[in-house]
Amino acid sequence: MDVQEKLQILADSAKYDASCSSSGSKRASKKGLGNASISGICHSYSNDGRCISLLKILLTNACIYDCEYCINRRSNNIKRATFTPEEICYITINFYKRNYIEGLFLSSAVIKNPDYTMDLIINTVSLLRNKYNFNGYIHAKAILGASPSSIKKLGQLVDRLSANIELPSEASIKLLAPDKNEKSVTKIMKQIKENKNKNFVPAGQSTQMIIGATNDSDYDIINKSSQLYQNYSLKRVFYSAYMPINQSPLLPMVTIPPLKREHRLYQADWLMRFYGFKAKDLLEKDDNFNLLLDPKITWALKNLSEFPKEINKVNYYELLKIPGIGPTSAKRIIKCRKKFKITFLDLKKMGVVLKRAKYFITCDNQYYFKRDNFNKNFIEKKLILEEKPQYEQMRLFE
Amino acid sequence: MNRVVTYIYDDTFIDLISLIAKLIINKARPYSIQSKKNYVATLFSEYKEYEFDPKIAKKLLNKLSHKIKKTIINIYLSNNKSKEVVIYYFIKNSLKYKDDIFQMRNLKCVHEGLKISKNVTRETHKFKGFTRFKLLNNDVLYAEISPTNDIIFLLSKHFKVRLRNEKWVIKDVERNIYCIYEKGKTYYVNDNVLEANKLEFDENENQIEKLWKNFFNTISIKERENKKHQMSLMPKKHWKYIVEMEDVYEKSDK
Repeated sequence: MDVQEKLQILADSAKYDASCSSSGSKRASKKGLGNASISGICHSYSNDGRCISLLKILLTNACIYDCEYCINRRSNNIKRATFTPEEICYITINFYKRNYIEGLFLSSAVIKNPDYTMDLIINTVSLLRNKYNFNGYIHAKAILGASPSSIKKLGQLVDRLSANIELPSEASIKLLAPDKNEKSVTKIMKQIKENKNKNFVPAGQSTQMIIGATNDSDYDIINKSSQLYQNYSLKRVFYSAYMPINQSPLLPMVTIPPLKREHRLYQADWLMRFYGFKAKDLLEKDDNFNLLLDPKITWALKNLSEFPKEINKVNYYELLKIPGIGPTSAKRIIKCRKKFKITFLDLKKMGVVLKRAKYFITCDNQYYFKRDNFNKNFIEKKLILEEKPQYEQMRLFE
Repeated sequence: MNRVVTYIYDDTFIDLISLIAKLIINKARPYSIQSKKNYVATLFSEYKEYEFDPKIAKKLLNKLSHKIKKTIINIYLSNNKSKEVVIYYFIKNSLKYKDDIFQMRNLKCVHEGLKISKNVTRETHKFKGFTRFKLLNNDVLYAEISPTNDIIFLLSKHFKVRLRNEKWVIKDVERNIYCIYEKGKTYYVNDNVLEANKLEFDENENQIEKLWKNFFNTISIKERENKKHQMSLMPKKHWKYIVEMEDVYEKSDK
């Protein structure tokens, strides 16, 4: 089998991993090739609109496990392939030199046993770092069940490690991934957390959850995420809308992946990490997000008694609770209002999304609309109308 | 009738600063400042030139902080048509407010200036990703770009670190500027020292490009296809020089 065909098989098997971020590490370029950029760089965008920044491949897709949702499950009749370490280095170096990619994301199915798989990954990455002096970004998968010593070895070579939790509850894991359990994932997360320093996984660890394969509610999902962020200082939790790849009585019958739901979860994730929201602020137990309005607006409408907030007075954390204002514009407001009194017109120049913010603020005690319009009905109606229409334009010849 | 005066400078940054220094001394309120290259005379306009004075230009620059200078240079590299006037008012207000200028977003020159500057840094960042090199048969990596703003200088700083042990050339096709890098040094030339149609590629170049296109097509998830989103993140104007979009570009109406 030639490299061309292997790449096709092993990229195809890797494409369901959502992570592609390349930020958070500033590996310097010494001798050799490349460096890591702290901000991360997207190099291309595939036809599904997702960013491509890393060469995302599996080392092998020959798996000993049989997880219901996974394309590489043992019982699936698909073509199997395995890269040699040299082949991976060849592709990575040549892609990197031409500036196609920011680095490598190496994952793998479990071949023979976890430690054997880990050794293959370590050999590959070590070859890349030491023989080819590659200083670009490397994200590797920590294989469940691998020994602590191999995690330690790998962590010193890469920028990011990840172990996928896949599902938000132990019951769901048991149902769909009988060879896995939550403990085996958190054990690895704990080890990575305890060892993390500037030479060990400098860009931190991440994980991923599948959305919509089980009955877990959005509340279960963000609650799990917030636990993970808290307990293991994860950098990111990725959410991946469930795609019907395999047929199984255990899996839901869907044809379209729940992309809107996935989007809402990412928005909630951001609110928890950068805006000071807690999972329980955003949702009641067993609830799902409103698909019509984003989580921040939903929260604001539920807590309308806290509004309108006066832009020229309230503190940073209060500003962050206003729909249409994020950390950047909140910091700007704080700095600028020391110099002059901020008006609605100024807000636009500061990067505030006025079309959302205007319902929830006053500028120098002025409300944007007539005062008696400040009520839930009016605001909700207006905001739903402002959301982008959900239909596609009809094409003439189709 | 009041005639509109356009002030003209000699196409370089330091020349513009010299002109601005003189205008500040003369307390002028310029309506338009243009480089000689871009100035088009019209019936009701007249133009004015001052003699280049490096001393007062330097004196003015010394009064500005590093952060302010960086912002002005970014604005200067933009293709915005009224950038010179924005720079004039930005500098004038910087003399008054010092670094507090960055908080004076209610002034037109500040929010316009910062917007233009951000546009330039943002485009530079995009091109850190979108630049595509091809390996020539003499081991030189060669890339063509066609950015909206004049970012080759800012962009090359990035590749100077990343590809420090390689030899590379980046060409801004529209502006006909080459940035040539070898052993830690960059050189800028603006005539056709290299002729792109005579370039010969490394024998493996084709195979690598094919591998990349193969990867690019495979990594996309069919059920999630969203070409509109793709196009908004990677606008069509860049496709010509992005190797994986080559084929789509050829088939599209340009």
